[in-house]
Amino acid sequence: MKGVGFILALFLSFSALGQEFLTKNGEVVFLSEAPLNEFEGKSSFLNGLINLDKNLLDFFIDLNTLKTGISLRDSHMRENYFETDQYPFAEFTGKIAQAPKLVVGERTSVKALGAFKMHGVERQIEVTGFLTKLQNGKIELSADFTIKLSDYKISIPSLIFYELAEEQKVTIKATLTEKK
Amino acid sequence: MRTTGLSLVLFFVSTVYSNAQLERKLENTNQPVDLIFHAPRHINLLTVEPLEKKTMHFAIMHTFGTLDGGIETLYGLDNGANIQFSFEFGLGDKLSLGASRSSRDKFYNVYGRYHLLEQTQNGKMPISVSMAGGAGVITNPYSFLPEAERPEFADRLAYSAQLMLARKFSNKISLQVSPMMAYFSNPLPVYLIEGTQQFYLALGFSGKIKVTERSSLTLQWIPNLNSDLRNNVGIGWDVEAGGHVFQMYFVTSQALNEQYLLAGGNGVPGEEFRLGFNVNRIFALGQNKR
Repeated sequence: MKGVGFILALFLSFSALGQEFLTKNGEVVFLSEAPLNEFEGKSSFLNGLINLDKNLLDFFIDLNTLKTGISLRDSHMRENYFETDQYPFAEFTGKIAQAPKLVVGERTSVKALGAFKMHGVERQIEVTGFLTKLQNGKIELSADFTIKLSDYKISIPSLIFYELAEEQKVTIKATLTEKK
Repeated sequence: MRTTGLSLVLFFVSTVYSNAQLERKLENTNQPVDLIFHAPRHINLLTVEPLEKKTMHFAIMHTFGTLDGGIETLYGLDNGANIQFSFEFGLGDKLSLGASRSSRDKFYNVYGRYHLLEQTQNGKMPISVSMAGGAGVITNPYSFLPEAERPEFADRLAYSAQLMLARKFSNKISLQVSPMMAYFSNPLPVYLIEGTQQFYLALGFSGKIKVTERSSLTLQWIPNLNSDLRNNVGIGWDVEAGGHVFQMYFVTSQALNEQYLLAGGNGVPGEEFRLGFNVNRIFALGQNKR
């Protein structure tokens, strides 16, 4: 009897663990389109977790890994805008509005709801993205959304207004592997 | 009972675990500090600020006449500017090579910087250390001199070397100390330098005090160690504007490169200050730009 209880609990605990999908090298690109200057920043260090059974999404990126192609601009970005020495991460924790049934090879539109945190400010956001279950059991994720810098208390001085856009278009792309 | 207890514990542990968020971890725990100085130049001296591989730093620097000319010369602006253009290329993340030309004596200079150590945010490396060296030639033809008195090529060479030790003490304050030396192959009186010796030793001090998010008060002091020349003093203001760094300053010398800074001589701080102005820009080379 005890044995059955143990096995049952073990079984429950494993199913509770759910299907957890992880990545450490998702891609993040932001695009700044200001009147006088357009540039991109990129990182391929997006860390993410999707647990479909628990309906949990958790993503974060070390903002120090974003590169725009010009080191001085990267330094200014880290020191004056993100202030990475105090706030090194941009993070999102949330859930999918309606947990989808993923069919292999089919791109499914999902809506994510949750808290996005950056520069010490946390806001509730809604992001539309796509999940695709691949043949090999992995999940592919793509999404894009817009961030208004002033929402996160990142101010653009008037001198820079023409070079840095207030609205940043963010695109993320990742392939998540099931945790064994 | 004990097994049930154990399984319950196991159950809760795994549930808790699966609800847990990812642990927030830095990709590089030895992240270097950003912007000890605003640019690879600080008033007239080079700094430890590295250039990333495949980027180019372009600087145009000017110094004008002395302020004591008053309004008649618009505080020295009328009196012949010394202008220096420089291009410096990042060959790797640690090494960069550059070339400059300043109008004073039509001096061409090739120089390099190598970054030995970089200060890190976690404090494991408390300072940044770089070295720099330059070799230059005075190309003024001196055609006003009789042909026999014109300097030979071998008389026209000047070299510089320095070590740069810098630390960002806080978000507000950075300091660099640079033991420097310069060597003139033949310091002829016709050159626009006050020094008459070949070899010069000095200590360069560069200070930055951040005042607003994007501007700083800047300071420069270069006491000479082996000459009787007056010491160089400079005070200025750096402004970051987009991809540019503008540097405005008052300084006691018109010199814009290391050799001339050490051998050139200086005016009295105050009425013999000269207005100076640098524009720094960094370009990315050979990369996909949208």
